[in-house]
Parts: sequence; structure tokens; C-alpha cells
Amino acid sequence: MGFIAESVRTALSLIFSADQDVLAAVRTSVGVASWSVLLAALFGIPIGLGVGVNQFPLKRVVIVVLNSLMAMPTVVLGLLVYGLVSRQGPLGGRGLLFTPNAMIIGQTLLAVPIVANYTLSAIKGADVRIVPTALTLGAGSLRSMMQLTREVRFGIMAAVIAGFGRVISEVGVAMMLGGNIRWYTRTMTTAIALETSKGEFAFGLALGIILMVVSFSINILLTFMQESYQP
Amino acid sequence: MKPPQYHLRGIRASYRANLALEVEELTIDSGRLHILAGPNGSGKSTLLNILAFLMKPSDGEVVFAGTQVDWQRKQLASLRKRVTLLHQHSFLFSGTVSANVAFGPRARGMTTKEDVRRAVNESLAMVGLDGFESRDARHLSGGEARRVALARALACKPEVLLLDEPLSHVDKESAQIIETLVLSLSGQGTTIVMSSHNEQFAQRTEGRVIRLLDGRVESMVEGNGKAPSRDLDGYSYAKL
Amino acid sequence: MKSKFAAGLLGVLLTCSLVAAQERLRMSTTTSTENTGLLNVLLPPFEKECGCKVDVIAVGTGKALKLGEAGDVDVVLVHARSLEDKFVANGFGVNRRDVMYNDFVIIGPASDPAHVKGAKTAAEALKRIAAAQAVFISRGDESGTHVKEKEIWAAAGINPAGRWYRSIGQGMGEAIMMATEERAYTLSDRGTYNAFAGPKTDLVILFEGEKGLFNPYGVIAVNPKKFPHVRYDLAMKFVDFITGPAGQAIIGQYQVAGKPVFFLYKAR
Repeated sequence: MGFIAESVRTALSLIFSADQDVLAAVRTSVGVASWSVLLAALFGIPIGLGVGVNQFPLKRVVIVVLNSLMAMPTVVLGLLVYGLVSRQGPLGGRGLLFTPNAMIIGQTLLAVPIVANYTLSAIKGADVRIVPTALTLGAGSLRSMMQLTREVRFGIMAAVIAGFGRVISEVGVAMMLGGNIRWYTRTMTTAIALETSKGEFAFGLALGIILMVVSFSINILLTFMQESYQP
Repeated sequence: MKPPQYHLRGIRASYRANLALEVEELTIDSGRLHILAGPNGSGKSTLLNILAFLMKPSDGEVVFAGTQVDWQRKQLASLRKRVTLLHQHSFLFSGTVSANVAFGPRARGMTTKEDVRRAVNESLAMVGLDGFESRDARHLSGGEARRVALARALACKPEVLLLDEPLSHVDKESAQIIETLVLSLSGQGTTIVMSSHNEQFAQRTEGRVIRLLDGRVESMVEGNGKAPSRDLDGYSYAKL
Repeated sequence: MKSKFAAGLLGVLLTCSLVAAQERLRMSTTTSTENTGLLNVLLPPFEKECGCKVDVIAVGTGKALKLGEAGDVDVVLVHARSLEDKFVANGFGVNRRDVMYNDFVIIGPASDPAHVKGAKTAAEALKRIAAAQAVFISRGDESGTHVKEKEIWAAAGINPAGRWYRSIGQGMGEAIMMATEERAYTLSDRGTYNAFAGPKTDLVILFEGEKGLFNPYGVIAVNPKKFPHVRYDLAMKFVDFITGPAGQAIIGQYQVAGKPVFFLYKAR
């Protein structure tokens, strides 16, 4: 118990002293996660929509695969992308490894299945009358899809929030593709991993507390934003 | 002489492995009021969905205003801009009444705020719901919701207005408004096909009553009780 | 209003991780080097001097060298002489220079159940541990420390196996923490041990000082002929700095818990 109390005290002092290392790690975590979720939404929402709305052969297979991809271990994904962006790999020429961009690539790939699946669920649960209503009012396919998206926006926001939660809390991809470089690719999670490896458990937990506070705050903001949105 | 609004031939349509509709020949005249009468399950909704180009029959051909319907996406998109169906349990989009009613005009390319507002006000006035623009579409009474759905359909200014049981389960005042509106619209040249349980309404109007039973057209009579006249475009109807 | 707020929030979130463009030197080194904290005092003056930023990727020795072999870093700072020599011989690195040295120590619980204290050689110390089947934590990650540990087992003629010998595949810090937890023995570099001694571990040094436990550090620039994209200019600037008077002074004066961590080669 004392160890937890010490962590809380450390967390507070880190926050109030605006510790540079902590600030940098928070900014990296939030920035990388935000870009990843944005890109994941750009790809994942249309995928979820496309699979949910259409009938096609092997639809069931696709859904099962999409589902399974959600459980992709982060280290495995990290390794795969590492193989691609390392200098030895096919995309190596751009010097991506050990930069925030490499982390964004990895985390986007991590989040796409989540966003797609939640979107798919939202679509499945949507009222079947939405699209026919839009169509009979003269909307084309695109507009009907957009109206459908609007009608299930709570489900889609849940998708985005779930994706965000997954990437901001993961360490495998960030560590492998970012290299935990201080002030550059060190995220809250990789910082926690580092501190724990140095035996600084209380400090690590303090960082964890800060990470959770940041993460919760962003989630609350996102939820608040979506609820007041009127089309 | 205007071509008929619709000409259906050899139509077969299934709903969940059951043959829901079987119509050998049917003509819907332009600018007239048609009433689909018949018990539940007689195929009225199926027929309306086909006329709305929301459902493709498994067999048969449909000719709309002289053009054969090929059921391809491109043609359907343009056909649906001319035909609007008011579903039996209509779905209002989440948001304001105004957002709902504006959907049709916006889908047809109307962008100016002023134009949209005018179109919305016009349609709401027609159904007697002036001032309802900012109301939340989810918090309306049954009758109000039905009228908003109707206003939304009217804002599309369709050539053909299809209505599935528009008068069922609404309060008297709403029913009155809807009925009056429908009758006046048919007088102004819109082709109207509406299904109704209400036998008296069917009799009251000058519309053509198409009676369905078990997915087939049982009879077709003129609203005030007259039997079909042969000289109406020379088409024969009905199969018993 | 709300959508403006939303756009603003999104903008803030997205710009969080943007970094100013700057010359960056990529260096791979070992976790133990990083854990001593030396780089935190050594790099800032260098970064000022060269007007660049140093990206430190701290991993095990094996991986640090592999990064050099892949051309993913520009300069390598490790402490595994035989591996370093191979690295240069295979053409991956150039201009290897000695930087500093320290030594390895065998640490364990003060109660010393295997009677390591008093052993004449490191090999004998490990023999006693094996005989007592006392828990021994091995890094097991092909690091310099692990390589040295294997050499000593070989010298002792023992192939360590059994439940008492735990190969964890992790860094020095984790090894020390685990040994502390398990009241076990392990081989550590003095620098990391000094950093942990006191607050984080109550294990003590039970064997030290043998020539065989000498732990030299080398810095190697990645070969620009093999990898034209590496920042050879910055790498050499770093090599010159760390072996020059300014860098050496910092290294010589660096202490953890009041004790020196690294030792300099005699003046050139």
C-alpha cells in the first residue's frame, strides 16, 4: 500500500513541477495516438461500413478475419512493421525506423481492426429502415451511407474511443518501432517500461497514473463532444 | 396522351422464401389517385416497394413513364428522385424536424440556407406543422411524426407519391390533415398510390381502388363504386 | 461553436508529437550504459557543440551491433570487444576507439549461502554457486555481460542447467531486480550495480577485481561506404568528442551514489 501512496505523491509532484521528461512523454503518447486513430478511422470506418452494408461471397470469412485481427499481439505487429521499415527492409529507404512516424504506422495498423469491428457492430445494430428511407428521399449511395454513419455515430465514436484506448496504452509497437528515444519517441508506456527495468516501480506507477488521467480526460472530452453534436 | 406512370408485367416478388406478389399485368395512370386495398399480407407493401424502386422483383418487367427499368444503380438513382415512398412505420432521422424535411431538397442539390429554409417551411405548412422546425424529431407524437414524414416526402416534390397505410394509428386531427392533403395533391397532377385498410376512405374518393388478396390483384374499381371501363388505355386488369 | 472546439482539440492533439526538424545522430548503445545515466551528462554538451540531436537507442549489445549492421544507426557504443572486432572486420564499422572501461562483479545476498566470498577466481565463484545449486540469474540476451558470463562458466568447465539457473533474456536492471527478489546471485557490470545499490537492491559485491572481469567500452562509426545514408560526419564528431579531452573529463568525473562508474585509459 505504501508503494501506491508513494506513487500517487510522485505523480502529483511530477505534474505540478511540469517535469520536462514527463511532459515530452505525454506529448509523444498523445500525438502519436491521435494521428494513429485519425488514420485508423479514415480506413476503418469505411471498411466497417462496406462489410456491414453489403452482401458478398465470403462475407462471413471476412468478418471472422477482421475479428481475429483485433487480437493481434502488439509485439508481432511491431516486428512485422520493423521488418518493413528497417534499412534492410523494402520501405527502409526513408529512415522511418525509430521515428514517431514509424510508431504511427504501427499503431494505425493496430487500431484499424478495432475501429472497423466496432463500426461493423454499429451498422449491424442500426435500424434497417435508414438506408431505404434515405434512398427513397432521393439520396444516392454515398449520401445514404453518410446518413447511416450519422445515425450510428455513437457506435462509431465508441469505435474511435476504443481505438484510442488501445494505442495509447500499448507498449510493444511503440518500443519496437520507436526505440524509446528520450524526448523523441519515448511515450508514457515505454517510459514506464524503462523505469520498471531500472527497478523504479513507484516512479513507473506514477507515470502510469498520469497516463490514465490523460487518457480518461481525452475520452471524456471526446464523449462530451459527440453528445452535443447536432447534424 | 401521356404514357402510363407505371406498367407492370409478369411480376413475381418473394419475401422470405414466400411468394409475396404475383401480378400479371397492372397499370398505374399518371396524375391519378390509386388506392391499394386488402388485408394484411396481401402484398400491398411489397408492391409499393417495387413501385418505389426499393425492391427488385425476381421476375417480370416494369416500365416507368415509357422507360424500361433496367434496375441498374445509375438508373435507379435517377428514378428514385422522381418517386418517394412514405413507409408504414416511417423512420425519422435523428436531429431536428427541419433536418429531416430538408433531406430531400439537399439530396437534390439545394445548398443555399435560404432556399432550404423556404422549402422546409413550405412543406411543414402543408401538413399543418408550422413552427416545428427546431423540434427534436424523436420527441413527437405519433400523428406529428407521421406528418413530418409526409412533409419530408413532399419536400422532394415527387412525380409519384407512394404511401403505405398513412392513416393508420394516427390521431383524428392528423388523419384529417393527411387525407385532405392527399386528395388535393392528386387533384394537382401528382400520381398517388396509397394503401389503406379504410374501406370508407376508398369508397369516398374518386381514385381507382386496386384490391389485393394473397399477392394477387383481385379487382380494380373506380372509387365511387364504378366498375372498370374498357376504354382506359385499352389495358385489361385483374386475375381472379 | 462545438465543432470549432472539436477542430481545435483535434489540432492540439495532432501537433503534440511534431518535432522541430534538426540534424539527428542515431546511436545504439547498451541498456547498462544508458542505465548508468552517463549519457544524460555526456550528450548535452556534445549536442550543443555540434548543433545536433542525439537519438539514443538502448538495447542489448547484440541488438546494438545488429542495428549497426543494418545501417539503422550511425554510431555504436558497446562493451563486447570480440563482437566489436568482428563488426569492424566484417566491414560494418570503421574507426573503432577505446572510450572507457569498468569491470564486472559477482553480486549476491549478504548471507552468501554458496560461500562465494573468498573464492580466488571468478570461475571458482561460479563453481561454488553451481555446487550449492544457489539461484543464479543470467541475462541470457547475448549482451556483453552475458557473453562474459558464458566465458567464465566455460573456464569453470560447467554447463549451467537446472532450476537454479534462470536465463531471463532481459537487461541488467531487470536481472538485478530479479536477483534481489529471489535472493540470488548474478554477474553485473559495476556501473549498473552502483546505480542500483542502496535504494533498489540490498545485494552486495561478493567477488571482484579479476583481470578477466575487465569490461572495456568501444565506440564505432558505422561504415559510410556500406551505408551511404549514415551521418558519418556527425558520428565522427561524436567519436572525437567522447575520446577527446572534454568527453573524457566528463566520463572520468561521473559518479553514481558517490562512486566512480567508469575508468579512463591512461593519458595518450
